Amino acid sequence: MMRFSVFTYAAIGFVALAAGAIVLPDWAMFLFAMALAKGLVCLGIVGMMRGGVVSFGQGLYYCLGAYTATLAANFLGVSDIFLLTLLSAAVCLLVGLIFGPLLSSYRGIFFAMLSLALSMVLYGSLSKMSFIGGTDGLNIGAPTFLGWAPEGRPLQTALYLYVVTIVVISGALMRVYFDSEQGLITQATRDNELRVEYLGASVRTVMAYNYAFGALLGGIGGTIAVLALGHVDPEFAFWTTSGEFVFVAILAGYLSVPAVFFAAIILELVRSFSSLYFPNTWQLSLGIFLLIVIVTLPSGLGSLVSRRKGQNT
Amino acid sequence: MTLKLENVEVTIQAAPILRGVNLEVAAGERMGLVGRNGAGKTTVMRTITGLATLAGGKVFWEGEDISVMEPRDRARLGFGYMPEDRRLIPDLTVEENMLLPAWVNNSIDGPKGLSFVYDLMPELTQMSTRKALLLSGGQQKMVALGRALIAGSRLLLLDEPFEGVAPALAKRISDVITSLKGDGLSVLIAQSELSHSADLLQRESVIERGEIIKVNVIDTSLQEQQV
Repeated sequence: MMRFSVFTYAAIGFVALAAGAIVLPDWAMFLFAMALAKGLVCLGIVGMMRGGVVSFGQGLYYCLGAYTATLAANFLGVSDIFLLTLLSAAVCLLVGLIFGPLLSSYRGIFFAMLSLALSMVLYGSLSKMSFIGGTDGLNIGAPTFLGWAPEGRPLQTALYLYVVTIVVISGALMRVYFDSEQGLITQATRDNELRVEYLGASVRTVMAYNYAFGALLGGIGGTIAVLALGHVDPEFAFWTTSGEFVFVAILAGYLSVPAVFFAAIILELVRSFSSLYFPNTWQLSLGIFLLIVIVTLPSGLGSLVSRRKGQNT
Repeated sequence: MTLKLENVEVTIQAAPILRGVNLEVAAGERMGLVGRNGAGKTTVMRTITGLATLAGGKVFWEGEDISVMEPRDRARLGFGYMPEDRRLIPDLTVEENMLLPAWVNNSIDGPKGLSFVYDLMPELTQMSTRKALLLSGGQQKMVALGRALIAGSRLLLLDEPFEGVAPALAKRISDVITSLKGDGLSVLIAQSELSHSADLLQRESVIERGEIIKVNVIDTSLQEQQV
């Protein structure tokens, strides 16, 4: 019953977002695609937040995914969007599985700083690698869709619908994961690790899995972002990029999956309009916006949905 | 003996909490661990579960030295622990709290364990979908006991199970523990006084200032022994 309702909500979400392909102007479709791609990265952070840790270095996977796709396109001649996504996801998952067990021993600020350090190592390394563009980065051509090579508005529409599909599937699967036994153990870990340990669970394993899932989602988000932008540079791994993901995760809270994408869209809108109307003080507007959300909704936008559910039951 | 603590010493921030504790619990035995607040009862429990680090001595389970075994691995031996402060997961439901050990341990049959607990404590059935944070202290004790029963197929460690609960509920918990007789399950109950459990124990170890000072045989077929 529960899973049926998750996929029903997913179907409704898909229709609502996909309608954007018809009604949204080009600029808004691009903005939404970027916001949803970043929302995927933030969903990975939210998965970790449910276990009580926050990664300040998801830029690592966002960047790694973007560079993997770009290098595969430029040096291996892969242009198919599905293959590029699969390749990036696999690379990021692999790296996440390597770093996950290492980071899973740490909590709080140590976890945040170590994850940040890893992403800054990637940033520094890429900046020095002139053969892949150094600080200038690399361009990537338009992707193909199983052999179909659209251009102009059809390309943008196809890319947008692809993002929406990935987001809806990932969101639904993450919801199922959050409500699964493993997901509930993660929630219990957030509450108190010791009690989970003496019941027989390995907190480190739980944390490592969540980190790996975060890496996977980060890689997919990075791939979609680079395909939408057509360009990648080391800034993808810079700490301000990771900070932006944390910003969205805090804005959304860990209670609701749709809230993550909603928060990502809101952030993109606030930033776009702030930089348009207050070009010199748009960061201030962003800061004030976050302050208001934290003061009024300390558990994030997702708590609005939870409160409503609580009132209904 | 199924469980054996041999000269166990535990220090916390350089302060000796347990000093050469020797304790033995046989298979199927219900043993009490009695002492005043601060005597070291909870630390003994935490030592058995692996939550407290040994400064000296050893812990044996069925002859095997488990002194350095991780808490999660001890749980997999069939240890069920009900801490004094219950420690339920507030955002999970009653049923989810009790099933948690089965989720992380494939050898535990969750539905069977749940059915066993519901048979013992039918009152839990009515609150199965309620979140733990919405329960009263007494109800939380029942849930914590249910969770320990599902996890503890071989050894049940109950830390102050009667403390802070209404007399009627204490009697109910006592009845539940008594009904476990004959299942081969060893039970160790830590408490400050024996008023609720005098009838259900076979022996009691008295702990004072981190030392077992005597073992009383409550079952008349056994003799009192001094340590």
